[in-house]
Amino acid sequence: MLLSKLKQAWICLKAGRVTLPYPFKPLSPPEGFRGMLDIDPNKCIGCAGCANVCTPRAIVVTDTDQDWRRIDFYLERCTYCGRCEEVCPEGAIVMTPVFEMATDDKQDLHVSIELYMGSCGRCGRCFTPVHPLDKLMNTGFREC
Amino acid sequence: MQTGSQLIEALMSKFGAGIERWEEPSPGKVFLTIQPDILLPVAKDLLITYGFRFLVNVGSDEVLLNGMYVVSHIFSQDRDRLFCCVRVPVNPANPVIDSITPLISGANWAEREVRDMIGVKPKNHPDPRRLILSDDWPENVYPLRKGFAYDEKPEASPDNRVKMKKPPDGARTVPIGPFFPVLEEPAYFKVFVEGEKIVGCDYRGFYSHRGIEKMGEDVLTYNQICFIAERICGICGFVHSTCYCEAVEEAAGIEVPPRVGYIRTIMLELERIHSHLLWLGIAGHIIGFDTILMQSWRIREPVMWLCEQISGNRKTYGMNLVGGVRRDIPRELHPSMLDTLTTIEKELSAVFKAIQGDTSLHSRLRNVGVIPKDVAEEFCVVGPVARGSGVDIDSRRDHFYAAYKNLDVRVSVHEGGGCWARTLVRLDELFDSVRIIRQALQDMPEGNIMAEFDDIPPYKEAVVVVEAPRGEAVHYVMTGGDNRPYRWKVRAPTYPNLQVVPDMIQNEEIADVPISIGSLDPCFSCTERMIVVDRKTDKNCMTGQDLIRLSREKTKKLKMRNTH
Amino acid sequence: MFKTLLQKSFKKSIWVYHTNAGACNGCDIEVINVLTPYYDAERFGIKLVGSPRYADALLVSGPVTRQVLPALLKLYESVPDPKLVIAVGSCAAGGGIWHDSYNILGGVDNVLPVNYYIPGCPPRPEAILHGVAVALGLVPKKISPVVHKEEKIAKWMKS
Repeated sequence: MLLSKLKQAWICLKAGRVTLPYPFKPLSPPEGFRGMLDIDPNKCIGCAGCANVCTPRAIVVTDTDQDWRRIDFYLERCTYCGRCEEVCPEGAIVMTPVFEMATDDKQDLHVSIELYMGSCGRCGRCFTPVHPLDKLMNTGFREC
Repeated sequence: MQTGSQLIEALMSKFGAGIERWEEPSPGKVFLTIQPDILLPVAKDLLITYGFRFLVNVGSDEVLLNGMYVVSHIFSQDRDRLFCCVRVPVNPANPVIDSITPLISGANWAEREVRDMIGVKPKNHPDPRRLILSDDWPENVYPLRKGFAYDEKPEASPDNRVKMKKPPDGARTVPIGPFFPVLEEPAYFKVFVEGEKIVGCDYRGFYSHRGIEKMGEDVLTYNQICFIAERICGICGFVHSTCYCEAVEEAAGIEVPPRVGYIRTIMLELERIHSHLLWLGIAGHIIGFDTILMQSWRIREPVMWLCEQISGNRKTYGMNLVGGVRRDIPRELHPSMLDTLTTIEKELSAVFKAIQGDTSLHSRLRNVGVIPKDVAEEFCVVGPVARGSGVDIDSRRDHFYAAYKNLDVRVSVHEGGGCWARTLVRLDELFDSVRIIRQALQDMPEGNIMAEFDDIPPYKEAVVVVEAPRGEAVHYVMTGGDNRPYRWKVRAPTYPNLQVVPDMIQNEEIADVPISIGSLDPCFSCTERMIVVDRKTDKNCMTGQDLIRLSREKTKKLKMRNTH
Repeated sequence: MFKTLLQKSFKKSIWVYHTNAGACNGCDIEVINVLTPYYDAERFGIKLVGSPRYADALLVSGPVTRQVLPALLKLYESVPDPKLVIAVGSCAAGGGIWHDSYNILGGVDNVLPVNYYIPGCPPRPEAILHGVAVALGLVPKKISPVVHKEEKIAKWMKS
């Protein structure tokens, strides 16, 4: 019995000091870590594929006007599953290694993108960027 | 050795006219539709003559398909790898069904759940109280009926509180619930004590009922449900997501590439390692050995880092999708995985040797929380709780899933039935998991990680079981149109295990209640919570601190007794 | 003003009571992980206490279910002032996956006044340490809202 207590004490002593130096030294998580979302509004084409697959339905798409589509990301509900990143055809959503997301205001976790889109000649709802070449104006080539 | 078709033949020859329809969509999985009046004889036959074990009841609203509510009773037989799902159609105009609880006590909660969610009342049930729905939920509103929307919030109705049992004469009540210091899920035990001995117990749980099955049927698609299944439990989440994916794949006839099975096996075993180490720490904390808590969680941490490296998150791996997995385990990761496993094995052996000879631990755990073998079989307990009482069941060996068909699983069974036997079972499983992961890494074939498949056909059923660290998890899926299941039922392993608590703590001392319930490993939940409530005139109520203090004082007393 | 008062009151160590209001246990385990040797919150004086009456801060995880609501409100009242309520995890912050389910009342802020949110599913132990440090005013928060409207292209189209 005393022997087992000694063995237990030996295990603790042998481990030594293992505490990580965080928060005094910054910490970077491993590659492939699914952290905070980074959304690039310039690459987004408003297809709403991300809204379709989002499990907590944290991505909400509203067509505020005939030409305007607003995509709201309520990231306080996000479960960091990474499906939106997989599904986005333009690579507009990227999961960063950021995990320090504490805040006192829920609005800090909201991202809102409003896109000017072309509308369907028949039903009048938006469905596409105005013209594929116009999108190029925004993402590269020429400043206007 | 019996096959599914032989079983069907035997039942048809005996009950012929009463069986309306039968099918065997996969080998060993039999689905029978019977008339309600032969339910009791069929159940008796399956349980007693053919040696089946009761798993769960599924209440399903199939009014849109065939005009009836259907209650499916699922049984399994481990020796011959069989499942038998007995579907009983119930007329919505008169939703009453015979109760099988008098035959097998393990069906108690399952029938109460069907009554709460669909409204089919079990006749002759010994305890037909509300189980799942909250105290302020109105009567006659049944969430799993198709007419109820998943986000409908009915008005609160304050006078539907579940009536708890009264204590026997001369006994005092110790209310235990719903919040507890050593953080568990909320739940409420009402324990009746006479002096120090326990003479009875009542339970009110399901504080964490979140409406998962309803969301799976109404608003989420097949692939989204993989993620919600993972969050059913934060410790054995991957088990639920694997079980669900395999059930859909079986129902739809999707053939997954072999590499997928091995990846799922490796993640499942990693989950088992972290879960058992977690339990070891918490059990140590309950009886007053905080050293074990710190050391076993220190040993556990590298497993979490490894899972983060493989999957991107420490706990909710998010790797399963219907038809395969999202991320691969590349060959470059194998050396670091094997290193971590070697370190864990070495440290675990040291811990095991250190606690094996500790006589104060033995006297604290050996004859505490004893569940005899016949009680274990009557309540259909699963997992280490069953194996610690001598019941030899393990889904990895009995019902193959993932890659277990090609791997060698050593099932550890101990007689004794007390907390110490369950501890030994879990420690054996830890060492075995390390061995299985090594074997899986070596044997893993190359190939795709996602199957190609067409649309999933509607209205096909499947049942799959997976061995979680706590026991057997059962998922039943009936596929539907509209890219989501028609009915999805989850039975967690703690469900049958909790039903045995009143029998287990009968005649024990109150100081042994925390460790007895803790040794069931109730999904890290619902053990004790204390409200400082004074219900009776006897003002001697206990708080959570008091119970833990009592538990630790008993350890001290036993230690002093052993050293003298 | 309230913030400076809080910072003055909490100059010493903060004692925390953790509660699970219907969660899956993932966040709860990460909270206990913060006490284990690798992350060791106790070196900052942060302690998990066994009774709400000794606590300065309430760490709540999980979406609030209908059944747990009365107990949670009673718990909040038994924590003495001044107190902090910190919502840990995506379920507590905004309801998570189940924010509109029939048995759920949403995130914790639908029921109690929440001072700080620590999102994550589950949040890493380092994230929880960071969150408590932000709550104590030791470090500034690192995120801010993003709003974007395609003014440039709209102006170009209309011209």
